[in-house]
Amino acid sequence: MFALLKLELEKLFRAKSFYLSFIVLISFVVLMLWGFYTYAERKTGGQAVEQFKYTYESKQYFNGLTFALYSVLFSFTLLLPIFVSMSAGSQIAGESRAGTLRMICTRPISRASLVLTKFLVTALHAALLLTFFIGLNLIVGLIFVGWGNLELYPGPLNLVDAPGKIMRDEALMRFAYAILSGTWALLVIAALALLCSVVFDSPVQATVMTIAAYLTLYIVGRVEFFEHLRPYFFTTDMEFWRDVFKPDIPWQSFWHNAFVCGAYTIGLLLTTVVIFERKDIVT
Amino acid sequence: MWVKLFLLILFCLMIAGAVHFSEPSKSEQSDSIAETRASLRLLTWNIGYAELEDDTRAHDKDLPAVADVIQREDPDAVALQELTGNAQLKVLLGLLQGKYRGAVAQQGSGDRFEAILVKDAGATFTPVAAGGHYALAASFRPSSSMPEITFLSAHADAFNAARRRRYTEALIDWAQSRMQSSDVFIAGDFNFELKAANETNLYTDNLKHDSESYSHILRNFRDLGSGAGDTAINDRRIDYIFAPAKRAHVGRVEVLRDAAVGRMDHWPLLAEVGF
Repeated sequence: MFALLKLELEKLFRAKSFYLSFIVLISFVVLMLWGFYTYAERKTGGQAVEQFKYTYESKQYFNGLTFALYSVLFSFTLLLPIFVSMSAGSQIAGESRAGTLRMICTRPISRASLVLTKFLVTALHAALLLTFFIGLNLIVGLIFVGWGNLELYPGPLNLVDAPGKIMRDEALMRFAYAILSGTWALLVIAALALLCSVVFDSPVQATVMTIAAYLTLYIVGRVEFFEHLRPYFFTTDMEFWRDVFKPDIPWQSFWHNAFVCGAYTIGLLLTTVVIFERKDIVT
Repeated sequence: MWVKLFLLILFCLMIAGAVHFSEPSKSEQSDSIAETRASLRLLTWNIGYAELEDDTRAHDKDLPAVADVIQREDPDAVALQELTGNAQLKVLLGLLQGKYRGAVAQQGSGDRFEAILVKDAGATFTPVAAGGHYALAASFRPSSSMPEITFLSAHADAFNAARRRRYTEALIDWAQSRMQSSDVFIAGDFNFELKAANETNLYTDNLKHDSESYSHILRNFRDLGSGAGDTAINDRRIDYIFAPAKRAHVGRVEVLRDAAVGRMDHWPLLAEVGF
Protein backbone atom coordinates (compact mmCIF):
# COMPACT_ATOMS: atom_id res chain seq x y z
CA MET A 1 0.00 0.00 0.00
CA PHE A 2 2.79 2.44 0.94
CA ALA A 3 4.81 1.55 -2.14
CA LEU A 4 1.69 2.17 -4.19
CA LEU A 5 1.14 5.48 -2.48
CA LYS A 6 4.73 6.51 -3.16
CA LEU A 7 4.32 5.59 -6.80
CA GLU A 8 1.09 7.52 -7.15
CA LEU A 9 2.64 10.57 -5.47
CA GLU A 10 5.52 10.45 -7.92
CA LYS A 11 2.99 10.40 -10.76
CA LEU A 12 1.18 13.38 -9.27
CA PHE A 13 4.31 15.47 -8.87
CA ARG A 14 5.45 14.65 -12.40
CA ALA A 15 2.14 15.62 -14.00
CA LYS A 16 2.08 18.96 -15.80
CA SER A 17 -1.54 19.51 -14.78
CA PHE A 18 -0.42 19.52 -11.14
CA TYR A 19 1.73 22.60 -11.71
CA LEU A 20 -0.78 24.14 -14.08
CA SER A 21 -3.34 24.26 -11.27
CA PHE A 22 -0.95 26.29 -9.11
CA ILE A 23 -0.11 28.65 -11.97
CA VAL A 24 -3.79 29.34 -12.60
CA LEU A 25 -4.31 30.03 -8.89
CA ILE A 26 -1.41 32.51 -8.92
CA SER A 27 -2.97 34.26 -11.92
CA PHE A 28 -6.30 34.41 -10.09
CA VAL A 29 -4.66 36.02 -7.05
CA VAL A 30 -2.99 38.64 -9.29
CA LEU A 31 -6.35 39.39 -10.91
CA MET A 32 -8.07 39.61 -7.52
CA LEU A 33 -5.36 41.91 -6.21
CA TRP A 34 -5.77 44.27 -9.13
CA GLY A 35 -9.57 44.27 -8.80
CA PHE A 36 -9.62 44.56 -5.02
CA TYR A 37 -6.96 47.26 -4.88
CA THR A 38 -8.63 49.52 -7.44
CA TYR A 39 -12.08 48.90 -5.93
CA ALA A 40 -10.91 49.66 -2.40
CA GLU A 41 -9.21 52.84 -3.61
CA ARG A 42 -12.35 53.96 -5.43
CA LYS A 43 -14.65 53.11 -2.53
CA THR A 44 -12.63 54.84 0.15
CA GLY A 45 -11.47 57.75 -2.02
CA GLY A 46 -12.87 61.18 -2.80
CA GLN A 47 -15.97 60.31 -4.79
CA ALA A 48 -17.23 57.79 -2.25
CA VAL A 49 -16.78 60.26 0.62
CA GLU A 50 -18.59 62.99 -1.32
CA GLN A 51 -21.50 60.71 -2.18
CA PHE A 52 -22.05 59.15 1.25
CA LYS A 53 -21.41 60.39 4.75
CA TYR A 54 -20.71 57.09 6.44
CA THR A 55 -18.83 54.01 5.42
CA TYR A 56 -18.09 50.84 7.34
CA GLU A 57 -17.18 51.61 10.92
CA SER A 58 -13.49 50.98 10.35
CA LYS A 59 -11.53 52.74 7.64
CA GLN A 60 -9.31 49.65 7.63
CA TYR A 61 -12.10 47.43 6.34
CA PHE A 62 -10.26 46.82 3.08
CA ASN A 63 -7.15 45.11 4.43
CA GLY A 64 -5.06 42.05 3.62
CA LEU A 65 -7.26 39.67 5.58
CA THR A 66 -10.41 40.94 3.86
CA PHE A 67 -8.63 40.54 0.54
CA ALA A 68 -7.67 36.95 1.36
CA LEU A 69 -11.21 36.16 2.51
CA TYR A 70 -12.84 37.56 -0.64
CA SER A 71 -10.33 35.84 -2.89
CA VAL A 72 -10.70 32.45 -1.18
CA LEU A 73 -14.50 32.58 -1.05
CA PHE A 74 -14.84 33.66 -4.68
CA SER A 75 -12.49 31.00 -5.99
CA PHE A 76 -13.69 28.15 -3.84
CA THR A 77 -17.05 27.97 -5.55
CA LEU A 78 -15.84 27.46 -9.09
CA LEU A 79 -12.08 27.42 -9.48
CA LEU A 80 -10.92 24.84 -6.95
CA PRO A 81 -13.61 22.25 -7.78
CA ILE A 82 -12.39 22.29 -11.39
CA PHE A 83 -8.82 21.37 -10.40
CA VAL A 84 -9.97 18.74 -7.94
CA SER A 85 -12.24 17.23 -10.61
CA MET A 86 -9.37 17.22 -13.10
CA SER A 87 -7.05 15.56 -10.64
CA ALA A 88 -9.51 12.90 -9.49
CA GLY A 89 -11.13 12.41 -12.89
CA SER A 90 -7.83 11.41 -14.45
CA GLN A 91 -6.81 8.93 -11.73
CA ILE A 92 -8.39 5.73 -13.10
CA ALA A 93 -9.64 6.92 -16.50
CA GLY A 94 -6.19 8.39 -17.19
CA GLU A 95 -4.57 5.02 -16.61
CA SER A 96 -7.22 3.42 -18.75
CA ARG A 97 -6.65 5.91 -21.58
CA ALA A 98 -2.87 5.47 -21.33
CA GLY A 99 -3.28 1.69 -21.45
CA THR A 100 -1.59 1.14 -18.08
CA LEU A 101 -4.61 0.24 -16.00
CA ARG A 102 -4.62 -3.42 -17.01
CA MET A 103 -0.96 -3.74 -16.16
CA ILE A 104 -1.42 -2.09 -12.76
CA CYS A 105 -4.27 -4.47 -11.97
CA THR A 106 -2.10 -7.49 -12.70
CA ARG A 107 0.19 -6.52 -9.82
CA PRO A 108 -0.41 -8.14 -6.42
CA ILE A 109 -2.53 -5.29 -5.04
CA SER A 110 -6.25 -5.25 -4.53
CA ARG A 111 -8.37 -2.99 -6.67
CA ALA A 112 -9.83 -1.47 -3.52
CA SER A 113 -6.33 -0.48 -2.36
CA LEU A 114 -5.69 1.10 -5.75
CA VAL A 115 -8.86 3.19 -5.51
CA LEU A 116 -8.07 4.23 -1.94
CA THR A 117 -4.51 5.19 -2.84
CA LYS A 118 -5.64 7.24 -5.79
CA PHE A 119 -8.22 8.95 -3.59
CA LEU A 120 -5.58 9.76 -0.97
CA VAL A 121 -3.36 11.30 -3.64
CA THR A 122 -6.27 13.43 -4.88
CA ALA A 123 -7.04 14.48 -1.31
CA LEU A 124 -3.43 15.52 -0.86
CA HIS A 125 -3.59 17.52 -4.08
CA ALA A 126 -6.75 19.29 -2.86
CA ALA A 127 -5.13 20.06 0.50
CA LEU A 128 -1.97 21.37 -1.16
CA LEU A 129 -3.99 23.55 -3.52
CA LEU A 130 -5.99 25.08 -0.71
CA THR A 131 -2.98 25.55 1.58
CA PHE A 132 -1.01 27.17 -1.21
CA PHE A 133 -3.93 29.37 -2.26
CA ILE A 134 -4.76 30.59 1.24
CA GLY A 135 -1.08 31.11 2.09
CA LEU A 136 -0.47 33.03 -1.12
CA ASN A 137 -3.52 35.24 -0.57
CA LEU A 138 -2.42 36.05 2.97
CA ILE A 139 1.13 36.89 1.91
CA VAL A 140 -0.03 39.00 -1.04
CA GLY A 141 -2.63 40.67 1.18
CA LEU A 142 -0.03 41.48 3.83
CA ILE A 143 2.48 42.90 1.37
CA PHE A 144 0.19 44.82 -0.98
CA VAL A 145 -2.90 45.69 1.07
CA GLY A 146 -1.75 45.65 4.71
CA TRP A 147 -2.79 43.94 7.95
CA GLY A 148 -5.78 44.63 10.12
CA ASN A 149 -8.62 42.82 11.84
CA LEU A 150 -11.12 40.84 9.83
CA GLU A 151 -14.35 42.82 9.79
CA LEU A 152 -17.53 41.20 8.59
CA TYR A 153 -20.79 42.84 7.59
CA PRO A 154 -24.18 41.48 6.57
CA GLY A 155 -24.69 41.17 2.84
CA PRO A 156 -21.37 40.74 1.02
CA LEU A 157 -20.13 37.15 1.32
CA ASN A 158 -23.33 36.29 3.17
CA LEU A 159 -21.45 35.24 6.29
CA VAL A 160 -23.07 37.20 9.10
CA ASP A 161 -26.44 38.69 10.02
CA ALA A 162 -24.98 41.51 12.08
CA PRO A 163 -21.64 43.34 11.91
CA GLY A 164 -18.85 41.37 13.54
CA LYS A 165 -15.12 41.38 13.94
CA ILE A 166 -12.40 38.74 14.25
CA MET A 167 -9.11 39.96 15.68
CA ARG A 168 -6.07 39.54 13.45
CA ASP A 169 -4.41 36.56 15.18
CA GLU A 170 -7.70 34.74 15.60
CA ALA A 171 -8.50 35.45 11.94
CA LEU A 172 -5.22 33.83 10.89
CA MET A 173 -6.25 30.76 12.89
CA ARG A 174 -9.57 30.77 11.07
CA PHE A 175 -7.76 30.66 7.74
CA ALA A 176 -5.88 27.61 9.04
CA TYR A 177 -9.21 26.01 9.97
CA ALA A 178 -10.46 26.84 6.47
CA ILE A 179 -7.70 24.70 4.97
CA LEU A 180 -9.09 21.71 6.86
CA SER A 181 -12.78 22.41 6.39
CA GLY A 182 -12.30 23.45 2.75
CA THR A 183 -10.33 20.32 1.92
CA TRP A 184 -12.96 18.17 3.62
CA ALA A 185 -15.67 19.82 1.52
CA LEU A 186 -13.68 19.38 -1.69
CA LEU A 187 -13.33 15.67 -1.00
CA VAL A 188 -16.97 15.23 -2.03
CA ILE A 189 -16.05 16.50 -5.50
CA ALA A 190 -12.94 14.32 -5.48
CA ALA A 191 -14.96 11.20 -4.62
CA LEU A 192 -17.55 11.98 -7.30
CA ALA A 193 -14.83 12.53 -9.91
CA LEU A 194 -13.15 9.27 -8.91
CA LEU A 195 -16.43 7.45 -9.38
CA CYS A 196 -16.82 9.04 -12.81
CA SER A 197 -13.22 8.08 -13.53
CA VAL A 198 -14.12 4.43 -12.95
CA VAL A 199 -17.37 4.60 -14.91
CA PHE A 200 -15.96 6.44 -17.93
CA ASP A 201 -12.83 5.46 -19.76
CA SER A 202 -11.90 8.99 -20.77
CA PRO A 203 -10.46 11.41 -18.14
CA VAL A 204 -12.00 14.34 -20.00
CA GLN A 205 -15.42 12.72 -19.85
CA ALA A 206 -15.01 11.95 -16.15
CA THR A 207 -13.93 15.53 -15.37
CA VAL A 208 -16.66 17.12 -17.47
CA MET A 209 -19.37 14.91 -15.97
CA THR A 210 -18.23 15.78 -12.44
CA ILE A 211 -18.12 19.50 -13.12
CA ALA A 212 -21.48 19.30 -14.91
CA ALA A 213 -23.08 17.55 -11.92
CA TYR A 214 -21.53 20.03 -9.49
CA LEU A 215 -22.50 23.11 -11.50
CA THR A 216 -26.02 21.83 -12.15
CA LEU A 217 -26.69 21.35 -8.45
CA TYR A 218 -24.93 24.60 -7.58
CA ILE A 219 -26.96 26.64 -10.07
CA VAL A 220 -30.26 24.88 -9.43
CA GLY A 221 -29.67 25.45 -5.72
CA ARG A 222 -29.56 29.19 -6.33
CA VAL A 223 -32.84 29.28 -8.27
CA GLU A 224 -35.83 30.01 -6.09
CA PHE A 225 -38.02 27.49 -7.99
CA PHE A 226 -36.04 24.68 -6.38
CA GLU A 227 -35.69 26.15 -2.93
CA HIS A 228 -37.31 23.09 -1.33
CA LEU A 229 -34.75 20.82 -3.02
CA ARG A 230 -31.73 22.86 -1.90
CA PRO A 231 -31.18 21.00 1.42
CA TYR A 232 -30.75 17.71 -0.47
CA PHE A 233 -27.88 18.90 -2.68
CA PHE A 234 -24.34 18.09 -1.63
CA THR A 235 -23.36 21.56 -2.89
CA THR A 236 -25.45 23.03 -0.04
CA ASP A 237 -23.71 20.91 2.60
CA MET A 238 -20.31 21.74 1.12
CA GLU A 239 -20.78 25.37 2.09
CA PHE A 240 -20.20 24.47 5.76
CA TRP A 241 -16.50 25.16 5.31
CA ARG A 242 -17.19 28.94 5.26
CA ASP A 243 -18.61 28.83 8.79
CA VAL A 244 -15.09 29.04 10.23
CA PHE A 245 -15.06 32.69 9.16
CA LYS A 246 -18.09 33.59 11.27
CA PRO A 247 -17.22 35.46 14.48
CA ASP A 248 -19.05 32.75 16.46
CA ILE A 249 -18.67 29.47 14.65
CA PRO A 250 -22.03 27.62 14.66
CA TRP A 251 -20.46 24.32 15.73
CA GLN A 252 -23.67 22.32 15.73
CA SER A 253 -24.45 22.94 12.04
CA PHE A 254 -20.74 22.92 11.20
CA TRP A 255 -20.29 19.35 12.44
CA HIS A 256 -23.64 18.26 11.00
CA ASN A 257 -22.69 19.41 7.51
CA ALA A 258 -19.13 18.12 7.89
CA PHE A 259 -20.49 14.66 8.70
CA VAL A 260 -22.97 14.85 5.80
CA CYS A 261 -20.08 15.72 3.45
CA GLY A 262 -18.15 12.83 4.97
CA ALA A 263 -21.08 10.50 4.30
CA TYR A 264 -21.22 11.66 0.66
CA THR A 265 -17.47 11.15 0.28
CA ILE A 266 -17.33 7.72 1.89
CA GLY A 267 -20.54 6.61 0.18
CA LEU A 268 -19.22 7.59 -3.24
CA LEU A 269 -15.87 5.99 -2.47
CA LEU A 270 -17.54 2.74 -1.44
CA THR A 271 -19.59 2.76 -4.64
CA THR A 272 -16.41 3.39 -6.65
CA VAL A 273 -14.68 0.42 -5.00
CA VAL A 274 -17.66 -1.89 -5.64
CA ILE A 275 -17.96 -0.85 -9.31
CA PHE A 276 -14.20 -0.99 -9.92
CA GLU A 277 -13.92 -4.48 -8.43
CA ARG A 278 -16.57 -5.73 -10.83
CA LYS A 279 -15.27 -3.82 -13.81
CA ASP A 280 -13.97 -5.78 -16.78
CA ILE A 281 -10.77 -3.99 -17.71
CA VAL A 282 -10.10 -4.42 -21.39
CA THR A 283 -7.57 -1.63 -21.97
CA MET B 1 -13.13 -7.15 1.59
CA TRP B 2 -11.70 -5.38 4.64
CA VAL B 3 -11.50 -2.12 2.70
CA LYS B 4 -15.20 -2.27 1.86
CA LEU B 5 -16.04 -3.16 5.45
CA PHE B 6 -13.90 -0.28 6.70
CA LEU B 7 -15.60 2.13 4.30
CA LEU B 8 -19.03 0.84 5.28
CA ILE B 9 -18.31 1.35 8.99
CA LEU B 10 -16.94 4.83 8.24
CA PHE B 11 -20.05 5.62 6.20
CA CYS B 12 -22.30 4.56 9.08
CA LEU B 13 -20.25 6.66 11.49
CA MET B 14 -20.67 9.70 9.24
CA ILE B 15 -24.42 9.20 9.10
CA ALA B 16 -24.54 8.78 12.88
CA GLY B 17 -22.46 11.94 13.31
CA ALA B 18 -24.73 13.90 10.99
CA VAL B 19 -27.81 12.74 12.90
CA HIS B 20 -26.17 13.49 16.25
CA PHE B 21 -25.37 17.05 15.22
CA SER B 22 -28.60 17.75 13.35
CA GLU B 23 -29.96 21.10 14.44
CA PRO B 24 -32.71 21.27 17.01
CA SER B 25 -35.87 23.05 15.89
CA LYS B 26 -35.57 26.77 16.23
CA SER B 27 -37.50 28.16 19.14
CA GLU B 28 -38.72 31.69 19.44
CA GLN B 29 -35.85 33.72 20.80
CA SER B 30 -37.14 36.49 23.00
CA ASP B 31 -36.15 37.96 26.28
CA SER B 32 -38.62 37.79 29.09
CA ILE B 33 -40.53 40.98 29.70
CA ALA B 34 -42.47 39.54 32.61
CA GLU B 35 -40.31 41.40 35.13
CA THR B 36 -40.54 44.75 33.39
CA ARG B 37 -42.86 47.47 34.63
CA ALA B 38 -44.39 48.39 31.29
CA SER B 39 -44.22 47.41 27.68
CA LEU B 40 -44.45 49.13 24.35
CA ARG B 41 -46.05 47.43 21.37
CA LEU B 42 -45.11 48.63 17.90
CA LEU B 43 -46.28 47.58 14.47
CA THR B 44 -45.00 48.42 11.00
CA TRP B 45 -46.73 47.58 7.76
CA ASN B 46 -46.28 48.55 4.14
CA ILE B 47 -49.87 48.24 2.96
CA GLY B 48 -49.08 48.87 -0.70
CA TYR B 49 -49.39 46.33 -3.50
CA ALA B 50 -46.85 44.29 -5.43
CA GLU B 51 -45.07 45.81 -8.43
CA LEU B 52 -47.23 44.13 -11.06
CA GLU B 53 -50.37 46.06 -10.12
CA ASP B 54 -51.50 49.27 -11.90
CA ASP B 55 -51.50 51.22 -8.66
CA THR B 56 -49.03 49.85 -6.13
CA ARG B 57 -50.14 52.18 -3.36
CA ALA B 58 -52.57 51.17 -0.62
CA HIS B 59 -56.13 50.47 -1.80
CA ASP B 60 -59.16 51.93 -0.01
CA LYS B 61 -60.96 48.58 -0.01
CA ASP B 62 -58.21 47.06 2.15
CA LEU B 63 -58.41 49.65 4.92
CA PRO B 64 -61.07 47.80 6.97
CA ALA B 65 -58.80 44.75 7.05
CA VAL B 66 -55.85 46.93 8.09
CA ALA B 67 -57.97 48.44 10.87
CA ASP B 68 -59.02 44.95 11.99
CA VAL B 69 -55.40 43.85 12.38
CA ILE B 70 -54.54 47.01 14.33
CA GLN B 71 -57.52 46.55 16.64
CA ARG B 72 -56.75 42.87 17.15
CA GLU B 73 -53.06 43.40 17.96
CA ASP B 74 -53.63 46.66 19.86
CA PRO B 75 -50.20 48.28 19.28
CA ASP B 76 -49.25 51.56 21.00
CA ALA B 77 -48.00 52.95 17.70
CA VAL B 78 -48.26 51.89 14.07
CA ALA B 79 -45.95 52.86 11.20
CA LEU B 80 -47.63 52.57 7.81
CA GLN B 81 -46.14 52.99 4.38
CA GLU B 82 -47.42 53.58 0.84
CA LEU B 83 -50.65 55.39 1.70
CA THR B 84 -52.08 57.54 -1.09
CA GLY B 85 -52.50 60.51 1.23
CA ASN B 86 -54.40 62.12 4.04
CA ALA B 87 -57.80 60.84 2.85
CA GLN B 88 -56.82 57.22 3.48
CA LEU B 89 -55.48 58.14 6.91
CA LYS B 90 -58.81 59.76 7.83
CA VAL B 91 -60.71 56.65 6.72
CA LEU B 92 -58.40 54.47 8.77
CA LEU B 93 -58.69 56.65 11.88
CA GLY B 94 -62.48 56.51 11.49
CA LEU B 95 -62.41 52.73 11.28
CA LEU B 96 -60.36 52.67 14.48
CA GLN B 97 -63.18 54.57 16.20
CA GLY B 98 -61.05 57.39 17.59
CA LYS B 99 -58.72 55.10 19.48
CA TYR B 100 -55.70 56.42 17.60
CA ARG B 101 -54.37 59.79 16.48
CA GLY B 102 -52.39 59.97 13.29
CA ALA B 103 -50.59 61.95 10.62
CA VAL B 104 -49.10 61.42 7.19
CA ALA B 105 -45.65 62.60 6.14
CA GLN B 106 -45.09 65.56 3.85
CA GLN B 107 -45.03 64.72 0.18
CA GLY B 108 -41.51 64.29 -1.14
CA SER B 109 -40.55 63.39 -4.67
CA GLY B 110 -42.76 60.28 -4.67
CA ASP B 111 -46.51 59.65 -4.90
CA ARG B 112 -46.95 57.76 -1.64
CA PHE B 113 -46.87 58.66 2.00
CA GLU B 114 -45.66 57.27 5.29
CA ALA B 115 -48.02 57.55 8.23
CA ILE B 116 -48.04 56.99 11.97
CA LEU B 117 -50.95 56.10 14.23
CA VAL B 118 -50.49 56.55 17.99
CA LYS B 119 -52.80 55.76 20.87
CA ASP B 120 -51.56 58.65 23.02
CA ALA B 121 -53.81 61.69 22.56
CA GLY B 122 -50.91 64.01 23.38
CA ALA B 123 -48.69 62.74 20.57
CA THR B 124 -46.91 65.24 18.35
CA PHE B 125 -45.87 64.58 14.77
CA THR B 126 -42.75 65.90 13.02
CA PRO B 127 -41.76 65.57 9.36
CA VAL B 128 -38.22 64.29 8.84
CA ALA B 129 -36.48 65.28 5.60
CA ALA B 130 -34.26 62.48 4.33
CA GLY B 131 -32.66 62.22 0.91
CA GLY B 132 -35.40 64.00 -1.08
CA HIS B 133 -38.13 62.13 0.77
CA TYR B 134 -39.99 62.73 4.00
CA ALA B 135 -40.26 60.26 6.83
CA LEU B 136 -42.53 60.97 9.75
CA ALA B 137 -41.78 60.97 13.47
CA ALA B 138 -44.20 60.85 16.37
CA SER B 139 -43.32 61.73 19.96
CA PHE B 140 -45.52 60.27 22.65
CA ARG B 141 -45.62 58.74 26.09
CA PRO B 142 -47.53 55.41 26.20
CA SER B 143 -48.01 55.67 29.97
CA SER B 144 -46.92 57.92 32.82
CA SER B 145 -44.34 55.36 33.98
CA MET B 146 -42.62 55.22 30.62
CA PRO B 147 -40.05 57.52 29.04
CA GLU B 148 -40.89 59.65 26.04
CA ILE B 149 -40.83 57.64 22.83
CA THR B 150 -39.92 58.95 19.39
CA PHE B 151 -41.22 56.64 16.69
CA LEU B 152 -40.25 57.01 13.04
CA SER B 153 -42.08 55.61 10.03
CA ALA B 154 -39.68 55.24 7.10
CA HIS B 155 -39.77 53.97 3.53
CA ALA B 156 -36.49 53.78 1.63
CA ASP B 157 -36.21 53.65 -2.17
CA ALA B 158 -37.21 50.31 -3.66
CA PHE B 159 -35.02 50.47 -6.74
CA ASN B 160 -31.73 52.17 -5.89
CA ALA B 161 -29.38 51.06 -3.12
CA ALA B 162 -27.33 54.28 -3.21
CA ARG B 163 -30.50 56.31 -2.62
CA ARG B 164 -31.47 53.95 0.21
CA ARG B 165 -28.08 54.58 1.76
CA ARG B 166 -28.37 58.37 1.59
CA TYR B 167 -31.89 58.18 3.00
CA THR B 168 -30.76 55.94 5.87
CA GLU B 169 -27.81 58.18 6.69
CA ALA B 170 -30.05 61.25 6.94
CA LEU B 171 -32.62 59.36 9.01
CA ILE B 172 -30.06 58.07 11.49
CA ASP B 173 -28.49 61.52 11.80
CA TRP B 174 -31.91 62.86 12.75
CA ALA B 175 -32.57 59.98 15.15
CA GLN B 176 -29.22 60.41 16.87
CA SER B 177 -29.98 64.05 17.56
CA ARG B 178 -33.10 62.89 19.47
CA MET B 179 -31.59 59.97 21.32
CA GLN B 180 -30.43 62.04 24.29
CA SER B 181 -33.92 63.22 25.15
CA SER B 182 -36.07 60.21 24.22
CA ASP B 183 -36.04 56.54 23.25
CA VAL B 184 -36.02 56.45 19.46
CA PHE B 185 -37.58 53.56 17.55
CA ILE B 186 -37.40 53.38 13.76
CA ALA B 187 -39.81 51.24 11.78
CA GLY B 188 -40.57 50.81 8.13
CA ASP B 189 -39.76 49.32 4.79
CA PHE B 190 -36.05 49.82 4.09
CA ASN B 191 -35.88 47.50 1.07
CA PHE B 192 -32.42 46.25 2.07
CA GLU B 193 -31.41 43.30 -0.06
CA LEU B 194 -28.99 41.51 2.22
CA LYS B 195 -29.53 37.91 1.22
CA ALA B 196 -26.44 37.47 -0.90
CA ALA B 197 -27.16 33.79 -1.40
CA ASN B 198 -30.01 34.76 -3.70
CA GLU B 199 -27.83 37.02 -5.84
CA THR B 200 -26.32 35.66 -9.01
CA ASN B 201 -23.30 37.93 -8.65
CA LEU B 202 -20.81 37.21 -5.92
CA TYR B 203 -20.38 40.86 -5.02
CA THR B 204 -22.22 43.97 -6.12
CA ASP B 205 -22.17 47.66 -5.33
CA ASN B 206 -25.84 47.44 -4.36
CA LEU B 207 -25.06 44.76 -1.82
CA LYS B 208 -22.29 46.90 -0.38
CA HIS B 209 -24.57 49.94 -0.11
CA ASP B 210 -27.29 47.98 1.67
CA SER B 211 -24.72 46.32 3.89
CA GLU B 212 -23.28 49.67 4.91
CA SER B 213 -26.72 51.20 5.48
CA TYR B 214 -27.85 48.32 7.67
CA SER B 215 -24.55 48.23 9.56
CA HIS B 216 -24.77 51.98 10.12
CA ILE B 217 -28.18 51.58 11.75
CA LEU B 218 -26.92 48.74 13.95
CA ARG B 219 -24.23 50.95 15.47
CA ASN B 220 -26.88 52.47 17.74
CA PHE B 221 -29.94 50.33 17.20
CA ARG B 222 -31.03 46.76 17.61
CA ASP B 223 -32.91 44.97 14.84
CA LEU B 224 -35.91 43.51 16.67
CA GLY B 225 -37.17 41.43 13.76
CA SER B 226 -33.89 39.72 12.91
CA GLY B 227 -35.21 36.32 13.96
CA ALA B 228 -38.81 36.76 12.89
CA GLY B 229 -38.34 35.75 9.25
CA ASP B 230 -39.38 37.24 5.94
CA THR B 231 -41.73 40.21 5.86
CA ALA B 232 -42.50 40.32 2.15
CA ILE B 233 -43.12 37.93 -0.71
CA ASN B 234 -40.19 36.28 -2.53
CA ASP B 235 -38.53 35.46 0.81
CA ARG B 236 -37.53 39.03 1.51
CA ARG B 237 -36.98 40.53 4.95
CA ILE B 238 -37.21 44.20 4.12
CA ASP B 239 -39.41 45.60 6.91
CA TYR B 240 -37.71 46.41 10.17
CA ILE B 241 -38.28 47.75 13.65
CA PHE B 242 -35.11 49.16 15.16
CA ALA B 243 -34.97 49.79 18.90
CA PRO B 244 -32.32 51.62 20.95
CA ALA B 245 -29.45 49.17 21.51
CA LYS B 246 -29.70 49.61 25.28
CA ARG B 247 -33.27 48.24 25.37
CA ALA B 248 -32.58 44.74 26.61
CA HIS B 249 -36.08 43.42 27.13
CA VAL B 250 -37.62 42.28 23.90
CA GLY B 251 -40.80 40.27 24.07
CA ARG B 252 -43.01 39.02 21.29
CA VAL B 253 -41.69 39.73 17.82
CA GLU B 254 -43.78 38.33 15.03
CA VAL B 255 -44.51 38.70 11.35
CA LEU B 256 -48.29 38.45 11.04
CA ARG B 257 -48.46 36.30 7.93
CA ASP B 258 -52.25 35.95 7.89
CA ALA B 259 -52.80 39.70 7.82
CA ALA B 260 -52.17 40.65 4.18
CA VAL B 261 -55.24 41.11 2.00
CA GLY B 262 -55.78 41.82 -1.71
CA ARG B 263 -52.46 41.85 -3.51
CA MET B 264 -50.36 43.23 -0.69
CA ASP B 265 -46.75 42.07 -0.89
CA HIS B 266 -45.80 42.79 2.73
CA TRP B 267 -46.87 41.40 6.08
CA PRO B 268 -47.00 43.48 9.24
CA LEU B 269 -44.17 43.17 11.73
CA LEU B 270 -45.13 43.40 15.39
CA ALA B 271 -42.65 43.89 18.24
CA GLU B 272 -43.04 44.27 21.98
CA VAL B 273 -40.37 45.94 24.11
CA GLY B 274 -40.23 46.01 27.90
CA PHE B 275 -39.24 48.96 30.08
